[in-house]
Amino acid sequence: MTSDNGSPMLAIRRLSMTFSAATANEVKALQQVDLSVDPGAFVIVIGTNGSGKSTLLNAVAGTFSADSGTIVLAGREVGGWPEHRRAALIGRVFQNPFSGTAPALSIGENIALAARRGSARGLARALPGNLRRTISERVRVLGMGLEERLDNPIGSLSGGQRQALTLLMATWIKPKLLLLDEHTAALDPKSADQIIRLSDRLIRQERLTTIMVTHSMQQAANLGDRLIMMDQGRIVYDFSGAEKRRLRANDLLERFEEVRRINQLDRSAADMLRRTYI
Amino acid sequence: MTLLLGALTIGLILSLLALGVFISFRIFHFPDITADGSLPLGAATAAVLLVGGASPILATAAAFGAGLAAGAVTGILHTKFRINNLLAGILVMTALYSINLRIMGRSNIPLLSADSLSARAEQIGLCAVSTAGFDVAGWTISMRDASSLLGVFIVVAIVGLALYAFFRTNLGTAMRATGDNDQMVRALGINVGSMIILGLSLSNGLIALSGALLAQYQGFADVQMGIGMIVLGLASVIIGEALVGVRSVGLLITGAVMGSVLFRLLVAIALRAGLNPTDLKLITAVFVFAALVLPAFLKRLRGRA
Repeated sequence: MTSDNGSPMLAIRRLSMTFSAATANEVKALQQVDLSVDPGAFVIVIGTNGSGKSTLLNAVAGTFSADSGTIVLAGREVGGWPEHRRAALIGRVFQNPFSGTAPALSIGENIALAARRGSARGLARALPGNLRRTISERVRVLGMGLEERLDNPIGSLSGGQRQALTLLMATWIKPKLLLLDEHTAALDPKSADQIIRLSDRLIRQERLTTIMVTHSMQQAANLGDRLIMMDQGRIVYDFSGAEKRRLRANDLLERFEEVRRINQLDRSAADMLRRTYI
Repeated sequence: MTLLLGALTIGLILSLLALGVFISFRIFHFPDITADGSLPLGAATAAVLLVGGASPILATAAAFGAGLAAGAVTGILHTKFRINNLLAGILVMTALYSINLRIMGRSNIPLLSADSLSARAEQIGLCAVSTAGFDVAGWTISMRDASSLLGVFIVVAIVGLALYAFFRTNLGTAMRATGDNDQMVRALGINVGSMIILGLSLSNGLIALSGALLAQYQGFADVQMGIGMIVLGLASVIIGEALVGVRSVGLLITGAVMGSVLFRLLVAIALRAGLNPTDLKLITAVFVFAALVLPAFLKRLRGRA
């Protein structure tokens, strides 16, 4: 694997993405982004709305293909792969707790689908006895009592329970990269806390290479071993090691304020130049 | 009695249509009008082969195969060429009208003198019991009617069980999930387009199989016999859901079969009571309309009260 020779798990080079190009609503969501993530790293991504953080995640996952740039994941150039093919390497949890599971299917069937991520699906039984037992064991670890309800449709569960199962499904087969897209933002505080603990535990235990987008400064300060702040489709800060460990939620808010002032300065400087020279 | 047996037999034959519509409409939420073309496609394919002297089993299997192909074309139009799902079905249905005429060479093929599955079933029945008819509670039942009903029942039971088993395999589970949450399905590495193509193919295969059996039972194939079939299938699926409730796949499959038989019985009773057959399709359409609209309407009424 790529981790053996010291090369990164994920290498993004000059990635650009523009929505509604050449119209009044043009948005440069990603502008020549470079990012390299080491195997086992837990990267937190923060930024204001429209800063490009979710676009970055979706571009890596293959929800759309970027306008330009390359994405190398576990040594493979995946930029041209369709979403379902990239899924062989990537585990994902979405912001909406209902996005990650099929409501009409049972808990067992949902997990059985995840257990074959990246392999062919043939005419073997989806839920044989031995898989059922494994599912029961691993669901019990969640401590939600769901192991007794494996045949219940997953749509009958709460958002928090569904998100916990989505997390379990995303990591059922160890992914080369785990993408968490504000996966606690739509949950009540108690469930959010539960899911964050579960995420952190799974990521540490399995040493999962992870990119997590969050709006919570608390989460950004307390979790992960690297923090990236994005603004206007660019990475504006990148902290790791001791520097990341020292960061507190307040420091992050200050950085946000700083970015805001620079943006204002850019605009007023441009205005001044325009007034002077045009 | 003959009328009752006939209604049961046709109900069971059309339950294969209902199962096909169940797959496209309930599993994929894809209102697939291809059905109106693939049912006569199955009838035409089987009829031409039977008249040409092919074995009835081969002719019926070929009809199933033709339906598989028709469904796959609709799926490809929708997924690869990004044509709206209704329009994709309409295009294939329209094309199939010409294709069916081409296959048959004329608009109607009688099968009364040809060797068919119905004739085979009667022969087997005659060998087993060796009377041309028998009495049940004072009614005389002809061997042809009884053996056709039993034969169709066996076919539907096998297809229903096979479908149930299929929906519990890895592939079948992936298919059900595709209609339920396609975002999740992509994130788990499943190709949504392939699932839709496969699913529509299977759906129309069953519908064509239904057409092939219907032609052999009725003794003719007609290019017009597909009109309104999608609505008929929907009516059966809706009645089935009302009978069993909406939950497990096994129940829904049973429900679709039961719905189709019940609907046929109701139609037989209504015709007996003097309903003009001309009005049948209008009544079916109104029924489906009511079944689609009533639940939400009742809910609103209750909410207001």
